[in-house]
Amino acid sequence: MRIGIVCPYSFDVPGGVQFHVRDLAEYLIGQGHQVSVLAPADSETTLPGYVVSAGRATAVRYNGSVARLNFGPVAAAKVNRWLDAGEFDVLHLHEPVTPSVSVLALMAADGPIVATFHTSMVRSRSMQAAFPIFRSSLEKIAGRIAVSEDARRTVTTHIGGDAVVIPNGVFVERFANARHVARWTGTPTRPTIAFLGRMGEPRKGLPVLAAALPAVLAQVPGLRVLVAGPGDPDEITEGMPAHVVAALEFLGAVSDEEKAELLASVDVYVAPNTGGESFGIILIEAMSAGACVLASDIGAFSRVLDGGRSGALFRNEQPGDLAAVLLALLRDPARRESLSAAGRARAARFDWSVVADQIMAVYETVIEGRLAARSEPRTRWNRLLHGGPSW
Amino acid sequence: MIHFLTWFFAVLFVIVVAAWYLSYTAARLDRLHVRLSGTLAALDARLVRRAEAALELANSGLLDGATSLILGGAAVDSLESPDEYGEAREVAENDLTEALDVSLSRHTVDDLRARGAVGDEHLARIVSACNRVQLARRFHNDAITDVRRVRTKWAVRLFRLAGHTPLPHTIEFDDEMPEHLSREPAAG
Repeated sequence: MRIGIVCPYSFDVPGGVQFHVRDLAEYLIGQGHQVSVLAPADSETTLPGYVVSAGRATAVRYNGSVARLNFGPVAAAKVNRWLDAGEFDVLHLHEPVTPSVSVLALMAADGPIVATFHTSMVRSRSMQAAFPIFRSSLEKIAGRIAVSEDARRTVTTHIGGDAVVIPNGVFVERFANARHVARWTGTPTRPTIAFLGRMGEPRKGLPVLAAALPAVLAQVPGLRVLVAGPGDPDEITEGMPAHVVAALEFLGAVSDEEKAELLASVDVYVAPNTGGESFGIILIEAMSAGACVLASDIGAFSRVLDGGRSGALFRNEQPGDLAAVLLALLRDPARRESLSAAGRARAARFDWSVVADQIMAVYETVIEGRLAARSEPRTRWNRLLHGGPSW
Repeated sequence: MIHFLTWFFAVLFVIVVAAWYLSYTAARLDRLHVRLSGTLAALDARLVRRAEAALELANSGLLDGATSLILGGAAVDSLESPDEYGEAREVAENDLTEALDVSLSRHTVDDLRARGAVGDEHLARIVSACNRVQLARRFHNDAITDVRRVRTKWAVRLFRLAGHTPLPHTIEFDDEMPEHLSREPAAG
């Protein structure tokens, strides 16, 4: 099958959508499909062979955060050329309402189109403002996928209609085979817990964890808190009690391999995120690595953890509850063991082999619908009316 | 004279814009109807495949006689229901969903899995068929939602841009996966 995938965010910077696109493309190529990915990227960035650059991305403030996007007539022309050259059986757009190459491809394309919605944005003013022009293009999407129930709700409230929920994929094996590293492995007197993510971003929840630590350290004075991710430690520790700062160990940004080893080694992985997560891929990675997961009970996390059956939950933004649940876990190795086993079983559902099969079923359904439909004449006038590439 | 020309071009402009808008909307509606006919055909094909998979399992000799009769009966009803989507088809598909759920009880599923490759193959086909029915129905109903929204526009109603095509209705029947197939294979 010839598959064209469009990623709206620049491949220069890491991000959830980019990783999803990369992994999906690599898995499908491994299955023998022909895949081409169109994404913005700087000319200096080395790209995998299957990625076609749509040109340099510009940093734009959109929907509350700064994103690196690609737009304008030059990008539109590139998108058209890519579509013409690709002759795709199916076109898979990611985030089709983000003002970048996905939108341009949606406007230009007219084959079977599948779109995946990743965000669970509460609302988007710019989207509503531009909606009338946009509406008829959105009608071209024959199969809509949402990566989570939250993302699906965004689709039903802002766009109308429905979407099938197909979760993000993880290469479970890469994490399952991670080795234990002695310096990160806990001992009965010095247990280890891990936090992963940008420490400076409050919604990642490091402040919640920090607020819970005094109560935990009072019971388990030897606790080591391993903090991995970009950020300035001095900024974070400002104003914290000295004994809490002493328990923190900053690892800085870690590689994918180190991340897997860290998750496999620690006694408990803590995800205190306070919101804004539509999915929680990190939890699945942690479960794949065999970590005992403790996460805030925000909707996305609670669903990934199967309502607390595959990992422990605490009440969001309540350091007291976090401390209590964490202490209970640290004192109960048997429970940690059983949660870790349940987590591994749960993670298998999110392996790319399972997820990509579901996506393939969507492709096939959409292509079948297209083949069954009567074909329409492709005159220049018709294309103009349909908002397709004019010439 | 100049006054007349101004009016002339103003009216001409309005007419051109109105004509373009009507033509654009008609083309948009046409594209939606094309999509709709495709999704309907896809759903039909998927339903036929589901019924065939169920019928094959019923005739495979892997099930007990009574279960075979229930499942086979529902599958044949689905295959023989008239092609168009009326209430009869929805009822037949509902019945097949129910028959699959009843037939594939916990014991039957475990029993089929215990038979190795043959049983697994039948179950895998049914899981895949049910999953694809869900996709096809959802995508078809999405297309219907889009069509219905465009057809409520005043221009579409006033100028009868939809012609005599009847307003489509979403297709509603239970397409849940049999309960014991969706559960994870027994651990270990």
